[in-house]
Amino acid sequence: MNDYPRRITLQEWDAHYVQLREAGMREPPYGGTLRRHVEEGDLRLRTLLFDNSSAALRLWNFLLTEEDRLREARTAGKKIVGTMKDLGTVPVMAYALPNVVAFYPDGAWWIPCVMELSEGLFGIADSLGIDEAFCPVRAMLGAFITEAHFPVPDLLICSAGATCDDFSAIAQRLNGLGYPIVWWEIPHRRIPDPDEERVELPGGFAAPASQVAFVREELERLRTVLEQFAGVPLNDGALSAGIARANEVRRLLAELRQLTFTAELCPLPALEMLIAEMLAIHFCSDQAETIEVLRELLREVRGRVEARQGVLEADAVRVFWVNPVADLQVMNLLEDCGGRICGTEYLFSHALDEIPENLPPMEALARMALADPMVGSAADRAARICADTRRFGAEAVLISRIPGASHCATEGIIIAEAVRSRLRIPVLEIEVPPLSDSIKPMLRTRLEALIETSKELRKTCCVPE
Amino acid sequence: MLCAGIDAGSRAIKVVLLNADERQVIASGCADQGVHHDSLAMRLFEEVLERAGCRREGVSRIVATGYARNAVNVADTTVTEITCHACGVHHLVPDAMTVVEIGGQDSKLLRLNRDGVVFDFAMNDRCAAGTGRFLEMVAARLEVELQALGMLAAKSQKPAAISSMCAVFAETEIIGLLASGVSREDIAAGVQASIAARVASMAGRNLNPPVVFTGGVAMIPGMTKALEAALGQPVSVAPSPQMTGALGAALIASRQMAQKGSR
Repeated sequence: MNDYPRRITLQEWDAHYVQLREAGMREPPYGGTLRRHVEEGDLRLRTLLFDNSSAALRLWNFLLTEEDRLREARTAGKKIVGTMKDLGTVPVMAYALPNVVAFYPDGAWWIPCVMELSEGLFGIADSLGIDEAFCPVRAMLGAFITEAHFPVPDLLICSAGATCDDFSAIAQRLNGLGYPIVWWEIPHRRIPDPDEERVELPGGFAAPASQVAFVREELERLRTVLEQFAGVPLNDGALSAGIARANEVRRLLAELRQLTFTAELCPLPALEMLIAEMLAIHFCSDQAETIEVLRELLREVRGRVEARQGVLEADAVRVFWVNPVADLQVMNLLEDCGGRICGTEYLFSHALDEIPENLPPMEALARMALADPMVGSAADRAARICADTRRFGAEAVLISRIPGASHCATEGIIIAEAVRSRLRIPVLEIEVPPLSDSIKPMLRTRLEALIETSKELRKTCCVPE
Repeated sequence: MLCAGIDAGSRAIKVVLLNADERQVIASGCADQGVHHDSLAMRLFEEVLERAGCRREGVSRIVATGYARNAVNVADTTVTEITCHACGVHHLVPDAMTVVEIGGQDSKLLRLNRDGVVFDFAMNDRCAAGTGRFLEMVAARLEVELQALGMLAAKSQKPAAISSMCAVFAETEIIGLLASGVSREDIAAGVQASIAARVASMAGRNLNPPVVFTGGVAMIPGMTKALEAALGQPVSVAPSPQMTGALGAALIASRQMAQKGSR
């Protein structure tokens, strides 16, 4: 039994949960009320609005029980590999191995928001010399020290080179504290010279064949590391099967995105879409369950689209969102102000594209890794954002900056200029700290202005040349 | 028919009472903002009504705008200051294509189409550098009245370079400049140039003239010149620049009444 789709508060979920249970809702072992996560310290949930479907409840519960899953995996004798600063390549390799669980320690960057700074992770990072000049992902350092949010992995793998400067500094500090890291290098993707062999990458990019070969060799090195770690060979057959499973996740997400972003009425709130999309890069420590969670969510969305039901007003402004937010509440805020998400670029758009299955697996993974928006130029990233904005028919673009994040400092300006000149639609840049309560009125003004502007523009097609 | 606009800004409250049929301002007023946004706005609104010889019941619609707009309980609805300033400036300067508004805690750059509709905008980020509050801080540090800051800047021989993009660090820079013997005139001119440069960075490329400057900071002598230098094109100041937000709000109120009537 699901009510008409809408966003509800935590308090409303308490009562709704009872109704759903009485109506026969079946839950996975990690099911239960959302309230219990608040009691465990996830205080931010008290201020959020959630989708009211059982599929969304399962999604939230899946996300918020990852720590339990990791500890169960350890108890069961499984090996845990932390894949850091890697948005969707090494986890695919790790999940091709039996008895190995990969997870994404970088995800700790949301803990200060979700726990409303009650966990003290930033304080620990500060004490280790990684202060607020760095991206909130520095919370990960504190999480390693306290071991309160995830078990310390048996193996840590981290990319370096053309990825995030902040993360490299943070991971190096971690390495120095006695958490040894296996590094692999990803070069800055560049346009091939005219006399170089050119390789097409997923997402419409290209790179010189020499760069693809370099990344492939780096991944081959990791293959050996993973084989030694797991004690079993990681052959091409197993890798291809792993790629196929990862692609299943990506296909489910592609359909979910297409349906949600293009439906006449918004069938799923922004927050649940954000969490669903994040599953593409880390599978929340259980790849098979990720597929089940996404299937249920997709069924729900399909049903809503077919029934012409939505969670927001019909005239909600279609907004393309760039970069993940540090404070989840701001996703709700956009909807409160009259917007809906129609397209996203959360810095891992390459992890939403299918990995080529018609290539040798290591070649396919190398191409995928090089298609990462963070390893290419800001202009490349802007080009993809413009293409996706057009594809999903967004009326405005919102660029959310992450305080301290080095790549956000200048990329936003480049992206904004590209959108303005190519698409001629309003662009807004905002900066969102992990707890935005004190600046909420200011953020609201900006978001409301974006919505007002976009709605006014619907009435006129007169944008000056 | 009477309509009103209330701009509850961070530093001042502004009220405009409008004869909606003739689109004429009947009365207006301005008062300092404080802690109790609603009662201060109400007091000013009543003062303006009294001056115009009108009664609250005679006002058909009230739109509130500005940072504290949601606290103005007398308003029928709220509209952001971006839309209101654009509307107010377009009414006063119909050919304006770009509006620069610098208020107490925000600076904004609005791009308008020929109908006066905002098609894009940019605002300063969280830092107060580039806002009226920053100028107040500088004036206090230089021990001059805010209005005298421009006159001081006009006497500058060599404007100081204020490199910091943050109000707190800029204050530190100013203290350092004073300590190293840089004149107050040069510091004042440097500060104005730094604010103008921040606005210019918001403008990016493709700034469509004419550019109109509005908001409380537009009343400070010297700022327009600094802005012209930073933007590289002429800038005119809107009539009664501090009131354009409230005027826009009143105009929007009258437009909403007209739409209501036509339905």
